[in-house]
Amino acid sequence: MKKAGKIAINIIVVALSLIYLFPVYIVIVNSFKNRAELYENILAFPSSVDFEYYATAMQKMSFPRAFGNSLIVTVISIAIIIVLASTTAWVLVRVNNKLSKIIFLVFVGTMLIPFQTLMMPLMQEMGWIRDHLRIPMLDSLGGLIYMNVGFGASMAVFLYHGFIKSVPVSLEEAATIDGCNKFTLFWRIVFPMLKPTTATVAILDVIWIWNDYLLPSLVISSKAYRTIPLSTASFFGQFTIQWNMAMAGLTLTIIPVIIFYLSAQKYIIKGVAAGAVK
Amino acid sequence: MFKKQDKGWYILFTAPLIFIFTTVVIIPFFIGIGYSFFSWDGLPLNPKVFVGMENYVKLFSDGRFLSSAIHTTLFTFLAILLINLLGLIFALVVTTKLKVRNAARAMLFMPYLIGGLILGYIWKFIFGDAFSSIGEQIGLTSVFFNWLLDSRFALYALVIVATWQMAGYIMIIYITGIQGIPEDVIEAAHVDGANLWVTLFRVKFPLMMPSFTISLFMTLSNCFKVFDVNFSLTGGGPNNATEMFAMNIYNEIFQLNNYGYGQAKAIVFFIVVAAVTLYQVSITKKREVVMV
Amino acid sequence: MKKRRVAIVFLSCFIIAGLLFTGCTIPGTSGSTGGTQTTAKKIIVFQSKVEITDQMEALAEEYKAETGVEVEVWGTTGDDYFQQLKTKLANNQGPTVFSLAPGSESEQMKNYLEDLSGLSFVGKIAEGMANVIDGKVVGIPYTVEGFGLVYNKSMISPDEVKDYTSFVKMMQDQKAKDVNGLSLSQESYFLIGHILNTPFALQADPFQYVADLAAGKVKMADTPEFQEFAKFYAAIRDYAKNPLEINYDKEIGDLATGKSAAIHQGNWCAGMFNDYQLDFELGMMPLPLAGNDCLAVSVPAAWYVNSQASDAEKQAGKEFLTWLYTSNTGKRYLMEEFGFIPVVAGMENKNLDVLSQEVAKYTAEGKTIPWPMSQWPAGIVDVYLVPVAEQFFTTEMTPEDFLAELDRVWVEASK
Repeated sequence: MKKAGKIAINIIVVALSLIYLFPVYIVIVNSFKNRAELYENILAFPSSVDFEYYATAMQKMSFPRAFGNSLIVTVISIAIIIVLASTTAWVLVRVNNKLSKIIFLVFVGTMLIPFQTLMMPLMQEMGWIRDHLRIPMLDSLGGLIYMNVGFGASMAVFLYHGFIKSVPVSLEEAATIDGCNKFTLFWRIVFPMLKPTTATVAILDVIWIWNDYLLPSLVISSKAYRTIPLSTASFFGQFTIQWNMAMAGLTLTIIPVIIFYLSAQKYIIKGVAAGAVK
Repeated sequence: MFKKQDKGWYILFTAPLIFIFTTVVIIPFFIGIGYSFFSWDGLPLNPKVFVGMENYVKLFSDGRFLSSAIHTTLFTFLAILLINLLGLIFALVVTTKLKVRNAARAMLFMPYLIGGLILGYIWKFIFGDAFSSIGEQIGLTSVFFNWLLDSRFALYALVIVATWQMAGYIMIIYITGIQGIPEDVIEAAHVDGANLWVTLFRVKFPLMMPSFTISLFMTLSNCFKVFDVNFSLTGGGPNNATEMFAMNIYNEIFQLNNYGYGQAKAIVFFIVVAAVTLYQVSITKKREVVMV
Repeated sequence: MKKRRVAIVFLSCFIIAGLLFTGCTIPGTSGSTGGTQTTAKKIIVFQSKVEITDQMEALAEEYKAETGVEVEVWGTTGDDYFQQLKTKLANNQGPTVFSLAPGSESEQMKNYLEDLSGLSFVGKIAEGMANVIDGKVVGIPYTVEGFGLVYNKSMISPDEVKDYTSFVKMMQDQKAKDVNGLSLSQESYFLIGHILNTPFALQADPFQYVADLAAGKVKMADTPEFQEFAKFYAAIRDYAKNPLEINYDKEIGDLATGKSAAIHQGNWCAGMFNDYQLDFELGMMPLPLAGNDCLAVSVPAAWYVNSQASDAEKQAGKEFLTWLYTSNTGKRYLMEEFGFIPVVAGMENKNLDVLSQEVAKYTAEGKTIPWPMSQWPAGIVDVYLVPVAEQFFTTEMTPEDFLAELDRVWVEASK
């Protein structure tokens, strides 16, 4: 009886998720149809499932290179964000003075600025840095990573700040008495306890950086540095959209993120299990 | 923890990020404030005319900007409620011991990855064709009609799509919060004979307060800045009934080439939103339980 | 207290810095670098016509093979093209050669446009097709495009749709057969931009009329062509499916499958029919507003050279355009690969699609009206006109109120 109930609940959860996923279904089936089939019935299964549009899309995107660029930008940006934001947030929580509070509020406050209003001055500033300090901020992966770190800082600090509060101070105090300096204290004791938060930050930032179009479209011009969203852009014109390519391109873009999510979420659970032993 | 002589550590740990953040966000923001005092189209070779406070004075009589403020507020209020409610329920369901929890998580999280034109296309189809045919078949045309053509329902349509997109995203934060509750606390509650509801409201929720603060703030900031969904689903229509702040500013800057005026709008928008959110954060922060 | 003072000092420093930054423009470093007529070994092309992106890439390879100069083609969705171009030009990381819509768009950018009057083939460009600003040729036209009614030849005959009365009769007849007589679609230009161009183009001096309208000297509500336009619009509302429920794809599909007899479109949509097996012939005919018998034909986009690029780059950009319009390879691309209607003497396209053939035919007969919409205030279609059209198609708004509302937003947009 109890077992049947459990199975039923499982089925209900799956069914609801599937309804929720209905739009995703539309994306996938239509990545196999041409314009006439799409017009005929947007919901129907495609008449034939062959991956020609995927092949064409991958070729037009220069998929391997775009994938490599996206991977580099995403991984390095997130690594830097995690290292810098976790340390910053930790210090801001533990040193509870006015300055910390102000810094924290500035970080949080800027999350409310619409990006469209920053982009023009940002590009101007970066152009100035390139011209006068000779640091290639524009049209380079390094520049894009730098700006990603800047834009990702707020949310990461905010998340770490929130969760560090629930980490007991007593452990840190004990370690200090044992003669740890702040650096080893943080990396040996505190950072491992933040694993669930780190996994969360990584997941949220992967979603954002991997799919980001607007910032890279302004920073990157050369073909050699195009990320995946930039390389699919030509499928997406309002008046020229090729639905099959666009949907195939989108599917190719999101599959890596889902794989990443499934593997990263284990750390949220593992991290807590490890923390519970303490 | 930190003493006076730890100043060096304080700087070492915070300075790099603050430096990057300042160059990427703060400086452009102040340059943007500077531009808000000019009448200018955004092209450096074209004339910039200093107009002082004129842009700021003008926007308070800009009816369309003010009504976009009303739409944004209404949208944000409804969307925050729905997104957090649904995100929390999702998180509670997928952190149970269900067999399908991992698959469910991945599925719920997928919508956030579909944006732009495709999002608009799919949901226009659902609200248009799909709703009309459902309405005709079951005879409920008062509920199932093309929502996007009705000025009130178009806003609700936006709320639904935003919820669909964001609930799985916010779920991730709630999951982290739930997983962060020590098992022994929950067990202790069970031993004390607390039922499901009591455990939820008296034990889990109070310990999840940081997650609430974070989730509320993130939905608030995302909803106030909402652009993608707005742009691709309704384009602000019908008849401007769903034009939000970000879209109004975007149009001013990039469609009408009024760069300075658009910046002024953005600054005012920022001040208003910052006041509201910081107030909200300060309220929920007070309710957080600090673990010692 | 002290802390607050420090904060104030900081804040004012930032604001002053911001003002300084905004007030004085930083001179570009990529400006003139010596006056020698060297040619750069690489140019960058950024252009808005997404349909020819793949062909541009192929063209770039052939150009490199023939001349040794590398051409890098930047990508775009087309929608955010102008925004990206502006941002990039503003930071001296602009392309060497780019495209714009001639008219208010190129007018706004005129400081960035190099004088191209000296190019060898400029004299051969068809009358009035080159973009001339302040007496200098700055833009080389891509092609001409025309719009009007794209129709199903087995369902309607242009001889029977000549004016408002016959148009309404056609709409009613088709409706009786459960067919859309004329379908518009929800995208801004397809909803109101193009169709509203016609009453402007029928004025004695269309471009002057646009200027007068902005100055408030004339009103659409008092102009006969516009009054009739409003009646046409009302007939579409009365006898056809609501355009707000139809997107571009559906509009094309409805025509291809016989559910619409005509759509208001241009020859650019010919490629959209490739996936369909048509069992009828497509044709193009004028929107018979006030007896109009002309298609609206003009240059949708033109090539420009970035005046802020280095001399060597500018030279390379000019050479590229000259090659494109005079070499055999270049001409072959323009005609066969891009499918353009020739606008420069000495070119001929035998493989035009059926709609472009119609546009070419009307052009040859001189039965064309211009695109005064290219002089409309920037952004007016998306930001101001679409909301009014949406109001018209979702409420019982009368044609008179519709015109009055258009007049009102026009003045607002022109401020």
